[in-house]
Amino acid sequence: MNSLAGTPTQPWRYPKLDGCFDEMFDASGAVRAHWEPLRAGLEAMGPEGLESRWSEGRRLIHDNGVTYNAYGEPGIAGRPWPMDPVPLLIGPEDWRFLEAAMIQRARLFNAILADLYGAQTLVRRRVLPAELVLGNPAFLRSVHGVEAPGGMFLHVYSADVARSADGRWHVLADRTQAPSGAGYALENRIVSLRVLPDLFAAARTSRLAAYFEKYRDTLVGLAPRHRDNPRIVLLTPGPFSEAYFEHSFLARYLGFTMVEGADLLVRDEQVYLKTLSGLLPVDVILRRQNDSYSDPLELRADSILGVPGLMQAVRAGTVAVANAIGSGLADGSMLAPFTGRLCRELLGEDLQLASAATEWLGDPDALARVTEALQSECSLVMKPAMAGGIVEPVFTAGLSRLRRAELAKRLSARPGRFLAQREIPLSAVPVWTGSGLAARHASIRLYATASGDSYRVMPGGLARVSGSAASLVVSVQKGGGSKDVWAVTGELDRQVSLLRPAPPPVDVSRATFDLPSRAADNLFWLGRYVERLEAGSRMLRAALLGLIQESNPFLAASRPVVLDLLAASGLASSGLSEPALVRQELLSLLYDPGRQNGVSWNALQVRRLGGLLRDRLSSDAWRVLHQLDSVLVAPAQPLPLRLVTGSEAVDRVIVHAASFAGFCQESMTRGQGWRFLDIGRRIDRASHAIELLRHSLTVERRNERDWIQALLEITDCSLTYRSRYLTSLQADLAIDLLLIDEANPRSVAFQLARLAEHIELLPDAPAGGRRRIESRLALKLLTAVRVVPLDRLVPADGGNRPALEAMLTQISADLDELSAALTRSYLSHAGPAQPLG
Amino acid sequence: MLYRATHRTAYYYSEPVSICHNQVHLTPRSCARQRVVETALHVEPRPARITSRTDCFGNIAASFAILEPHDRLVVTADSVVEVLAQAEAEPVPWEAARDRVRDAADDGAFEAMHFVFDSPFARAWPAVRNYAEDSFAAGRPLAEAAACLCGRIHRDFRYDAQATSVTTPVEEVFEERHGVCQDFAHIAIACLRSLGLAARYVSGYLRSAPGMVGAEASHAWISVYGPGGWIDFDPTNDVAAGLNHVTVAWGRDYGDVAPVRGVALGGGEHTVTVSVGVEPL
Repeated sequence: MNSLAGTPTQPWRYPKLDGCFDEMFDASGAVRAHWEPLRAGLEAMGPEGLESRWSEGRRLIHDNGVTYNAYGEPGIAGRPWPMDPVPLLIGPEDWRFLEAAMIQRARLFNAILADLYGAQTLVRRRVLPAELVLGNPAFLRSVHGVEAPGGMFLHVYSADVARSADGRWHVLADRTQAPSGAGYALENRIVSLRVLPDLFAAARTSRLAAYFEKYRDTLVGLAPRHRDNPRIVLLTPGPFSEAYFEHSFLARYLGFTMVEGADLLVRDEQVYLKTLSGLLPVDVILRRQNDSYSDPLELRADSILGVPGLMQAVRAGTVAVANAIGSGLADGSMLAPFTGRLCRELLGEDLQLASAATEWLGDPDALARVTEALQSECSLVMKPAMAGGIVEPVFTAGLSRLRRAELAKRLSARPGRFLAQREIPLSAVPVWTGSGLAARHASIRLYATASGDSYRVMPGGLARVSGSAASLVVSVQKGGGSKDVWAVTGELDRQVSLLRPAPPPVDVSRATFDLPSRAADNLFWLGRYVERLEAGSRMLRAALLGLIQESNPFLAASRPVVLDLLAASGLASSGLSEPALVRQELLSLLYDPGRQNGVSWNALQVRRLGGLLRDRLSSDAWRVLHQLDSVLVAPAQPLPLRLVTGSEAVDRVIVHAASFAGFCQESMTRGQGWRFLDIGRRIDRASHAIELLRHSLTVERRNERDWIQALLEITDCSLTYRSRYLTSLQADLAIDLLLIDEANPRSVAFQLARLAEHIELLPDAPAGGRRRIESRLALKLLTAVRVVPLDRLVPADGGNRPALEAMLTQISADLDELSAALTRSYLSHAGPAQPLG
Repeated sequence: MLYRATHRTAYYYSEPVSICHNQVHLTPRSCARQRVVETALHVEPRPARITSRTDCFGNIAASFAILEPHDRLVVTADSVVEVLAQAEAEPVPWEAARDRVRDAADDGAFEAMHFVFDSPFARAWPAVRNYAEDSFAAGRPLAEAAACLCGRIHRDFRYDAQATSVTTPVEEVFEERHGVCQDFAHIAIACLRSLGLAARYVSGYLRSAPGMVGAEASHAWISVYGPGGWIDFDPTNDVAAGLNHVTVAWGRDYGDVAPVRGVALGGGEHTVTVSVGVEPL
């Protein structure tokens, strides 16, 4: 007991937690040797020093958009990833043990899967209960008898390990399905290297990059063909999955194309990626979705995430899937009661790292023992034995007698569905409170990747810590946190530069070339919505300023015109003049996300699409989109909303939209992705300008100058006009500037010229033969504005301008046709699928 | 008996389908009481190729894809099969059948073990077990008890083609006491499994005969494992499956052997028509 712990005088100590092992301090209260350099370093920098470094770490997590998605909370935004700045250190002796034990366990689990999907001797000889295999929904019969390439099912094996009070390590759960968290471990490492670079070097621990290189090599080596440069895709269930951030992060880091099931197509037993340039063969699939959802034709028919026919390609051996389809069978704790015997049977070795004591209640004796134990206070964790049972583990510690009786009843109804695991009092680790250290419980997820016929262990891992000292639940989903894990190997890593950590390896990414049609579609719409967001904001700003500065005669005059234009663009209701109503209308356009085409609504679309394109936008561009959220939160109090606040918010939206465009312009490679983003943007900008012109200047107006003034303001052309024409406002000059002047980046002609350029550079349409339509339309549009004489559009004798009206109508129709043609040729491959039964 | 069995499934779409992938269980398998003389599968529009494989239950599963736009899909299976009478089962107590699956290590018993546990469409629960136990008195011969169970299902459940669909859960069928051949088969299987017996779902065709239901479309019945082998019963018609029953495939339940399964891209609304003909030759 240390009563001074964690106080300002002793910020680097904390109150000891009873009944568990302490990672940092030994029983006498002395700092363990492998923690000493870190402790000394922290002491030297002081609490203020750590806090100021950590504020940079937090900013990095926020700016990089490191998030996770909470269950039952579908959203693109995600929650910020909870990380603690103090790493968890594992000493050299422990690390040597864990490394060897992880390799053995990975080999064991691979051998178990190879047997269960092959000869099934373990079931025939009753080493494993038949119910757990043959009665298990995770046992995929389509895979039975399919040979895994090289006998390898698990290309990554992962285990959650923890220490009991005596300091011994135990496995809480095995992860074989599609082990997650390695990307978060890497992200944690990047942050902790930024926050504590000097201490990392002093701690003599290893870097993670070599592990990921091995992982990448293993995946490359799986390719049945194109071994020199295989096409590898990371298959994600999509943006609603818990670890979507990690999927896009790993895809970028490893240089793979991130795809969803709908991006892939099986043709003649070969998997293809649907891209703008047509179908490209896929050699390896890094699978991050559950295997039972991988092929609606042979596995779960209700899956909309899968690739119909994938199993045929797997059987034909034209594609490798990592981990192999079927690997989910060994995920969780189902095998825990049997691992010791399995290890002797299959490997002829004693198991080095045992599971926490676990019983399968399908065994009547085990059920009797557990039922008996539940009569009194006990510390067990009830877990599902297989998918489809209870999903969340139930901790019996602290349950009332009544709840324990209920639980016993539930167990006895379907005992085969349950496991009872002895609860491990997870060891205590220090976390940073902002002013000192405090204790939490932790478990560590370790990773091993296949290397030849053995495995290589990641020298680190993902530590997860409980939300409070009293809790043994370490789920990030349940308020827990995470930490970087430093495996203190005792050897000074030569790659480490003391001052400047080397950046992660950057590979030439073929992702740049492989643009899935779905991603192109999303980029196209992102371009359109960003433009709509900006255009809508500009109109709204003009209207708000008109209301705010009523004394300004000039703005007051153009106010009704702006409102009229807002209505004509389908944004505001028409015919509003009563100031209170106008004001209400404008603020609702700004803040109400349910209001279609309003600023918030458009921002929501932009954020949604941005989230889907996380792996394709530069981090700066993405950050700008990410920050849109905070701009558009309506100030809660005091009501009513103030117009000035609104106009400031609009200003910020405009700045964000413009800087997003700037980042795309400056930092996106000129690949097809950028092209589709820009095509979307140009089409929308041209359409908007045409709508404005058609509504304002095709008919004779008494107050035409007010209209011209508003038009120039909204399209951001006032300055250009005034610098070019010192005369007063004239319709012909404004029309020239907005429609025909190819040098003006806001003009219709400018947009059409860019479109024509883009379309010439698109790849040959995969649909074939349609290319001419887009090219012809683009050329027709551009020629129309280039050859038209201004005096035909604007006759000198005044009156209505039917020629202008006709021309604008034609351009508008041709633009719609162009958009539809592009969609048909390039973007329509990702339509919805329906099951037939 | 020699039969020609023709099974035609046609999908009509309101909008063109750009791509479809299908897997069908339409090729009759040879087994103890059946010999397949000839069989052919026709698909319209014609796919580039049809790939056949033997699935994990020994059935023949065929796969094909149509990669050009189409607004209808017609799959026709045309087979000539010889159906033999089912051998008389030895009168063994049903408990012996149960224990054999649990304890024996021979291939037959191990294969039967795949059919003892819950499967997605045929899950057991206490009420089902209570229902089953009325037919399974201690020591009663397996065939007699299973026939008794199927007879009760035939009487207690109403055949109603409108009441259920492929996705109706077995619990609802049991509560409402109505359904079609596939539902009755799932109920019987759940009952048998609740007692620890191995039971499988048989998909096939029924020769049209007076008083029999289920001949106009594909039919389904069950098979239960005994020490002498598998015994087939048809709970929909309260008969042992015999010379009128043409076997196509078997599995744990409908999901393993659905005659046609597929995924289509596009297509809008679709309608399906199914027709089956079994003609004695």
